[in-house]
Amino acid sequence: MSGKPVRPRTRVGKYELGKTIGEGSFAKVKFAKNVENGNHVAIKILDRNHVLRHKMMEQLKKEISAMKMINHPNVVKIYEVMASKTKIYIVLELVNGGELFDKIAKYGKLKEDEARSYFHQLINAVDYCHSRGVYHRDLKPENLLLDSNAILKVTDFGLSTYAQQEDELLRTACGTPNYVAPEVLNDRGYVGSTSDIWSCGVILFVLMAGYLPFDEPNHATLYQKIGRAQFTCPSWFSPEAKKLLKRILDPNPLTRIKIPELLEDEWFKKGYKPTTFVEEEDVNVDDVAAAFNDSKENLVTERKEKPVSMNAFELISRSQSFNLENLFEKQTQGIVKRETHFTSQRPANEIMSKIEEAAKPLGFNVHKRNYKMKLQGDKSGRKGHLSVATEVFEVAPSLHMVELRKTGGDTLEFHKFYKSFSSSSGLQDIVWHSEAKQ
Amino acid sequence: MSSTIATDSHGLSDSWTIGERVCAALMPLIAVVEVLILTVTGCFSYCPCISIIDQNHKCTYTAKDFAILADETRFTVEEVEALHVLFKRLSSSLIDDDSIHKEELQLALFQTPYGKNLFLDRVFDVFDQKRNGVIEFDEFVHALSVFHPYAPMDEKIDFAFKLYDLRQTGFIEPEEVKLMVVAILIEFDMNLPDDLLEAIVHKTIADADKDNDGKISREDWKAFVSRNPSLLINMTLPYLKDITSVLSSFVFKTEAKP
Repeated sequence: MSGKPVRPRTRVGKYELGKTIGEGSFAKVKFAKNVENGNHVAIKILDRNHVLRHKMMEQLKKEISAMKMINHPNVVKIYEVMASKTKIYIVLELVNGGELFDKIAKYGKLKEDEARSYFHQLINAVDYCHSRGVYHRDLKPENLLLDSNAILKVTDFGLSTYAQQEDELLRTACGTPNYVAPEVLNDRGYVGSTSDIWSCGVILFVLMAGYLPFDEPNHATLYQKIGRAQFTCPSWFSPEAKKLLKRILDPNPLTRIKIPELLEDEWFKKGYKPTTFVEEEDVNVDDVAAAFNDSKENLVTERKEKPVSMNAFELISRSQSFNLENLFEKQTQGIVKRETHFTSQRPANEIMSKIEEAAKPLGFNVHKRNYKMKLQGDKSGRKGHLSVATEVFEVAPSLHMVELRKTGGDTLEFHKFYKSFSSSSGLQDIVWHSEAKQ
Repeated sequence: MSSTIATDSHGLSDSWTIGERVCAALMPLIAVVEVLILTVTGCFSYCPCISIIDQNHKCTYTAKDFAILADETRFTVEEVEALHVLFKRLSSSLIDDDSIHKEELQLALFQTPYGKNLFLDRVFDVFDQKRNGVIEFDEFVHALSVFHPYAPMDEKIDFAFKLYDLRQTGFIEPEEVKLMVVAILIEFDMNLPDDLLEAIVHKTIADADKDNDGKISREDWKAFVSRNPSLLINMTLPYLKDITSVLSSFVFKTEAKP
């Protein structure tokens, strides 16, 4: 069994950061867990210096504040914003159904009705955000996610100021300007609402066709085609769909269809149900202000999460002799310990995994938090459900001590549990016996 | 020589008056009565019992004694009475003599009177302020007062320091820390090689020894505990906040005389 060290987890405020689930030049998105309630979230991490260098602070602050107030079923929710000296952390709703375009990559084009259903959701999201003065300006496949119920969620609203700085290079060098409105590419000055509608049109085309309306290997040719809106709809598009796409992919932003007109379009209206949802009131945006101002007061620190280091006295204070609570409890016959310990030279994360692996087959539900774990028996015993608290401590640089403590249920059942638990092969691998004990 | 003395003494008695003779005859009787009176009245004034092993010496505490103990500690009179119920249960578990012997404390904490335990010895010694080999009721109450949730932190810090200062030198030395780590590992049925033991001890001393004299002084300890408050987790017994209801399940009746 490999004893390769597992990297300690990183904590930011009350969040424990996990693996990276998305990455750009100046930002990355990480999976994270709120250690207070166990909820999973995504955290977008922005480079604070990059924001400062490009004088985006005020704009970003304004847009993120507006976004925090948005509570729409088709928009990824912003829960809170934190900042450290070097980074800005935006805590987002975790959407785990993948990108909408993964679906196309896997199954090819969508049926017109299904494409229309997703387009309805996209327009609902865009319309709602526009009504709140928030524009996306960077709608593209990576920003369209699906939740576990296949509901569309648009992400990165309000982060466009940041994203555009990032994508300026991409558009000219190696990026794909395929979804970008002609007025944005030509840098003629543009209105966020109309450029978002153009991007929605490109997305609709891809959903129904399975390929891009403007796709050229040569950037100059591509820009030209986008500028003139030179595209051809495939034969399987219905005439109504073709007609609508012509109105959306209009190179002139002034004559391009607006959302109120779009909502009245015959093709669009088929099966359309406006979204019903409860708007949140009294959303606090103080955290956004705090994250973007220069005060050192509310800064969070990013720190590596590792087991509690136990000094000699913490070890000593665990002696049963010092637990005078026993004086107040009626005596039972024989020694019945309510806790037990073992040592291991394995990395703490590995110990945690092995404990979990050993406990689950014995019928225990496992709740983890940092290097603590609660094992809850699913069967009721003589004194209710057996529950065991487990914690991994570091007692020396290469040595961990694991403490298992009965927190509920019958003590004799705890002993029976520990006997089965400690004899499991996975646990045998990690329990360390010094030469003296072998 | 002995005969001379006998004769002399006999000769002296011839000169005694009748009154003196009556007095001499009654002296032992008076002494016995006096001892009885002192013994009985002694229980009505505050004098902690002097317990002698294997001697069925009993002492009854009065309401006045409980009041004095309540004044000296964080407990109310009712709580002192409740503690007396607990004390009687503990002190009669092996030898019924109104004092807690080490084996009785061990039985209460480990549910067995057998075996040697360094930490038990330390707890016992710190409780036994009079150093007479047993814990008497007043010592029991005074020591438990430190464990009260409302007891000042300084008292708890000091008590813990006394526990860990094995040789009572006013310092916790590396050898003492090592002895205690070995003892806890034995209690946990664990075994560590010497280099790891040394690493644990060295790291702890280094963390705690602020004045760099290689040992932990009271000042070092106080600062160390303020940085590691979990060290005092066992120095507070939540039970003591509501001791009367906690101990209400014990069927013993208090022997306090009104």
